[in-house]
Order: sequence, then C-alpha cells, then structure tokens
Amino acid sequence: MNLTTVKKHGGKIWAWFWMILGILYFFLPLIATFLFSLRAKLNVLSFTAYQHVFNDSNFVYNFSYSVLWGVLTIIVGVLIFVPTAYLIRLKLPQFRIPVEFITMLPFVIPAIVYVFSLVRTFSQPPLLIVDSPVLLVAAYTVLSMPYMYSAIDTGLRAIDVRTLTEAGQSLGAGWGTILFRIILPNIRVAILSGAFLSFAIVIGELILAQYLVKPAFAPYMTYLIQQKAYEPAAMAIISFALTWAAMGVIQFIGRGSGGGEQSQIAGGH
Amino acid sequence: MTHLALSRISKDFGGATVVQDFNLDVKKGEFISFLGPSGCGKTTTLRMIAGFETPTTGQIIMDDVEITNKAPNQRNVGMIFQSYALFPNMTVAQNIGFGLQIRRDSKEAIKQRVDEMLTLINLEKHANKYPYQLSGGQQQRVSLARALANRPQVLLLDEPLSALDAKIRVQLRSEIRAIQKALDITAIFVTHDQEEALSISDRIVVMYEGKVEQIGTPFEVYNFPETRFVANFVGSLNTASAEVTDPAKGLLNVGGVQFVTASEIASRKKGEAIRISIRPERFSFLSEHKKDNVLDCVIENITFLGSVVRVQVKIGGASFNMDTFNNPFLELPKIGAKEQVTCSKNAVLVLDE
Ligand SMILES: Nc1ncnc2c1ncn2[C@@H]1O[C@H](COP(=O)(O)OP(=O)(O)O)[C@@H](O)[C@H]1O
Ligand SMILES: [Mg+2]
Repeated sequence: MNLTTVKKHGGKIWAWFWMILGILYFFLPLIATFLFSLRAKLNVLSFTAYQHVFNDSNFVYNFSYSVLWGVLTIIVGVLIFVPTAYLIRLKLPQFRIPVEFITMLPFVIPAIVYVFSLVRTFSQPPLLIVDSPVLLVAAYTVLSMPYMYSAIDTGLRAIDVRTLTEAGQSLGAGWGTILFRIILPNIRVAILSGAFLSFAIVIGELILAQYLVKPAFAPYMTYLIQQKAYEPAAMAIISFALTWAAMGVIQFIGRGSGGGEQSQIAGGH
Repeated sequence: MTHLALSRISKDFGGATVVQDFNLDVKKGEFISFLGPSGCGKTTTLRMIAGFETPTTGQIIMDDVEITNKAPNQRNVGMIFQSYALFPNMTVAQNIGFGLQIRRDSKEAIKQRVDEMLTLINLEKHANKYPYQLSGGQQQRVSLARALANRPQVLLLDEPLSALDAKIRVQLRSEIRAIQKALDITAIFVTHDQEEALSISDRIVVMYEGKVEQIGTPFEVYNFPETRFVANFVGSLNTASAEVTDPAKGLLNVGGVQFVTASEIASRKKGEAIRISIRPERFSFLSEHKKDNVLDCVIENITFLGSVVRVQVKIGGASFNMDTFNNPFLELPKIGAKEQVTCSKNAVLVLDE
C-alpha cells in the first residue's frame, strides 16, 4: 500500500512538472515581450508604446481587415465544409479517406509555393481575379481547411447523423432544413473550435496577404518591426489580446441561442 | 378497405436478397408487428415503407396512392427509432412542434397541437426541458408525440422499446397500444421479442431470412404455427422428429414412444418422417388429469421461472419442456425421478417443413 501511495504521488509530481514546464514554455516569451513593450521610455515602465499603436490609424486599418478576412473565412469554411462532411458521413463513406487526405494538403504544401501557384493561375484571363479579395478569402479557406474540416467531422461523429436526418425527413423536412436546423446547431461547439483556429491562423498569416497585396495585420507588423522597436512588441500583445477577445465574442454568440453545448454532450453518448 | 398494401416487395443489397416476395395488406387502425430474429429483414421492410430504402421490385400503396418511389419527406408516415432520435438542440415542445413548423402551421395551431400531444404522453411539465434531461422512457414518449403530431397515415416503430429496461418496456408498450387504439392510427411495430409481439399486436408477421413465414393473429401464430421456424421462434415450443406408424389412427413413433395426434396425417405414408411440436403448457403430470397420450418419462431438469415452473422431461429418446403453474403447494418431483406425463392428441401438432 505504501508503494502505491509513493507511485501515485510520484505520478502527480511529474504531471505537475510537465504542466508547469508547458506553461512556462508558452507564457515566458509572452511575458518577455510584454515587459519589453513597456520600456519605450527610458528607465520607466510605461504604456507609451501602446498609445502609439492605438493612435496609429494604419494599425487599426490593417487589423480590422484581418478580422474581416477571418470572419469571412469562417463563414465560407462553414458553408463549404459542413455540407461536405455531412454528405460524406451520410451518403459517400467511400470518399472519406480521400477527402481527409485532401483536407490535410495545406500541411504539406508550403504557403509560399501555394501563393505563387495562385498568382500564376489567377493572373491571366479568363481567371483574372488575383486582385479580388475573393481570391484571398478562398486561399485562407484552404489554409484553414485541415482545422475546420476535422473539427466539423469530429462534431458530426459525436451525433447520430443518419438517424437525426431520417427523423427530420420523416417529419417532412428537406435537406436545407435538416442541415441548418438539425445538424448545424448540434455541431455548434465543434464548429466554434474550428472557427477559433481558423481565426487565429488568418490573423497571424503573413505570406498570402503580402503576395496578394491585401491589407492585413501580419504584413503591417512585419513592416513595423523594421522601423521600430517597442511598438511591434506592444502590437503583438494587443493583437494577442484582441484575437482572444474576438474568439470570446464568437464563443458568446455561438452559445447565446439555446442549450447547444449541453445538448451536444447529451447527443454524444 | 386496404389502407396500406405491400405487394411482392423484395430488396437486394449488392446481390444479397434481404427481403423476398413480401406481401401484406394492412387495414386502417390495425396494429401489425414484424417479428423475427435479428437480420431477417424487418428493419429493411419498415424502411421501405418509410421511404428510406427503395424496393428492388414490388409496390407499396397507401390509401390507393402508389408511394413506392416517393421521398420520405413526401410521405405522411411517422417514424419511431430505437435510439429515440430526438433533436438534442430543441426542447421537448420544439421537438414535437417541428413537423408542424415544416408544414407552416400557424403559431397558435402549433402550440395547441403540441399541448394536446404533451397531455397525451403525460409530459406537460417537461415541455421546456431538453432531451438529455429526460429518462429513456420519457424520451421515447416525446418521440411518439413528435411522430403523432403530424397526424401520419401510418406509424412505424423500429424496436422502440429495446433500449429501455424491462419494467419501463412493459409499461410503455401498453401505453403505445392504448394511444394507438385511442387515435385509431395504423401502426407497424418491429421487434425480435415474441412476448412483445404477442401482447401488443392485432396481427403478427413472422419473418425469417427475408421471407414471411406466417401472418396471423397472436392466437393463431402461437397456437397454430404453420412452419417449424414459427413453432420454434414463437413461444417456447418443443419440436421433435417423428415417424408415421398408422396414418389412419394418427399414430406416431417419437423416439421409440407411441404418440397419438389429432393433426391430419391420413394422407401420409406409413414410415414417413415428419416433425411434430407440442407447447410446454400442454403437458401435465398424470396425477392431474388423464389425457390421450400417457407417457413414461424421466425428470431431467427443473427451472423456476416465476409464475411458471419449467420441467424438462425425457420421453423415450426425445427431451420435452413442460410448463406448470407455480403455487406454494406444488409438489415437484426430484431430478432423475421416473414419472408419467400426459397430453391430449390435439396438442401434438404436425408441422409443414
Ligand atoms: N444498407 C445496407 N447495405 C447492405 N446490407 C444491408 C443494409 N441494410 C441491411 N442490410 C442487411 O440486410 C439484412 C437485414 O437487415 P435488417 O433489415 O436490418 O434486419 P433486422 O431489422 O430484421 O434485424 C442484414 O443481413 C443486414 O446486414
Ligand atoms: Mg432491425
């Protein structure tokens, strides 16, 4: 009995050790950046750098655009991937493996390669849309695909898609109604987590926005790093806070309308 | 007078025939059960009526309209699933009102109908709860109300009680039957549980390996099984092989012992091999009342089943079960004891193979 106590104890200590190590690994750079951003004035800690950032209309402009791209990416992603994943679960299980493979491609194709092929393909007639924001959002949707698709698919796995669909059908519902009133609300938590990741990716994404020449946060920050010392650090912290705040809002909106989260848990067992 | 007709229905899944030449006429307000072992095609047949599967051949006609190839949401059928299939994101009231909303009924009409249904299933107090807050039995009642709210032409139930525990199962079973009778709605009920089918149905369709074995009232199916499968599957019937020894007198040789039967065997040849069946409750100890067959036996086993005691006896070369009602004064023989049992000649049924 003594031995097991020691063992259990040991296990606990190690669990704590790894957890604290993980937390340090994650937060130390953040804290360092934060402290650095407070040193804009010599020998005193101040929020001067933050004032500069908020007074910089370029920052507001670029960051707002990034938020817009993020939101559009989420909407487009949901509209494309929810019906796709649903259809595959319901009717085309033989396509599951190939489609899963395709959704993982953004992991193995470097962004720089992807953006060059985009520019090549879409900068000549009849596909002259390289300047359109449509191309940027489409590209972001592709980038976020591995996260969005697998989040949605996980959500669908947790509910009995087939039976819920059939119950809806026998009550007279068509496909649109089933998708939007039965399936979507029941995978809301899963969609939120996909949206969460997509949003973070879009906010931090540099290469696509830069090469497709669109206003966005990351290219602006890159530009600023070459000009200034403290402001980019402040901006990093601000963007971090804003991103989390935005995700909090998404979360809030998502949970606002009914017992979605609990019901999904209930649907899961 | 036929309300729902399945004629010559069959269904293949990639070459395997799962339902074969299925014929059934259902009258309005009838309660029909599909009874058979798992995998015999009950669900597939039900799903063809619901429109989730299309028959490979054959026709389905409801109220004189052919619906064989109609989409499920174009048919007016109510479906109850084993897993309840309530929409987890909707409250009880929203679940029940869902179909009415699809039909674009007015808000007041929906509310009125939902309240009516809540009263019917006795869950008025739970209108605003979510499905996960209800017990299994309550969830299944909500799903019943949801299906009935639309006033379907036929109610289809696929093993609706299998996920519930024994007590609730029996209770909900009679509740379903009572509601079905009160609303005079046609129902088709799939089950693999013979007791369930016998207790709830107007008629039972006994199925085996995709084919209909027998269609009849519970009384007919239980007392006059037409095939060996039905005899074995419905109730716990004894079957044994026998040899005709005197067709005119109805004499048989069963494992070296002579039996007399009231079944028609005059057309059989002497020496022909047949199969007979005898219900366990048709046997009794000789001490009670002497009948046509008096048989020496050895007690092999005794099982206490609550209201019934099942005694396994060996008569000649064959084993039979005998059921006798339990009572506190029952004097049971010991295992291995030599006894005599008796049964009337009309208890000895000859089966069509
Ligand atoms: N979609 C399908 N594809 C292939 N085979 C199926 C399909 N649905 C059912 N089957 C097969 O049909 C047979 C009958 O199934 P089912 O109707 O579900 O039986 P039951 O409800 O009587 O248990 C089973 O052997 C099953 O494996
Ligand atoms: Mg079944």
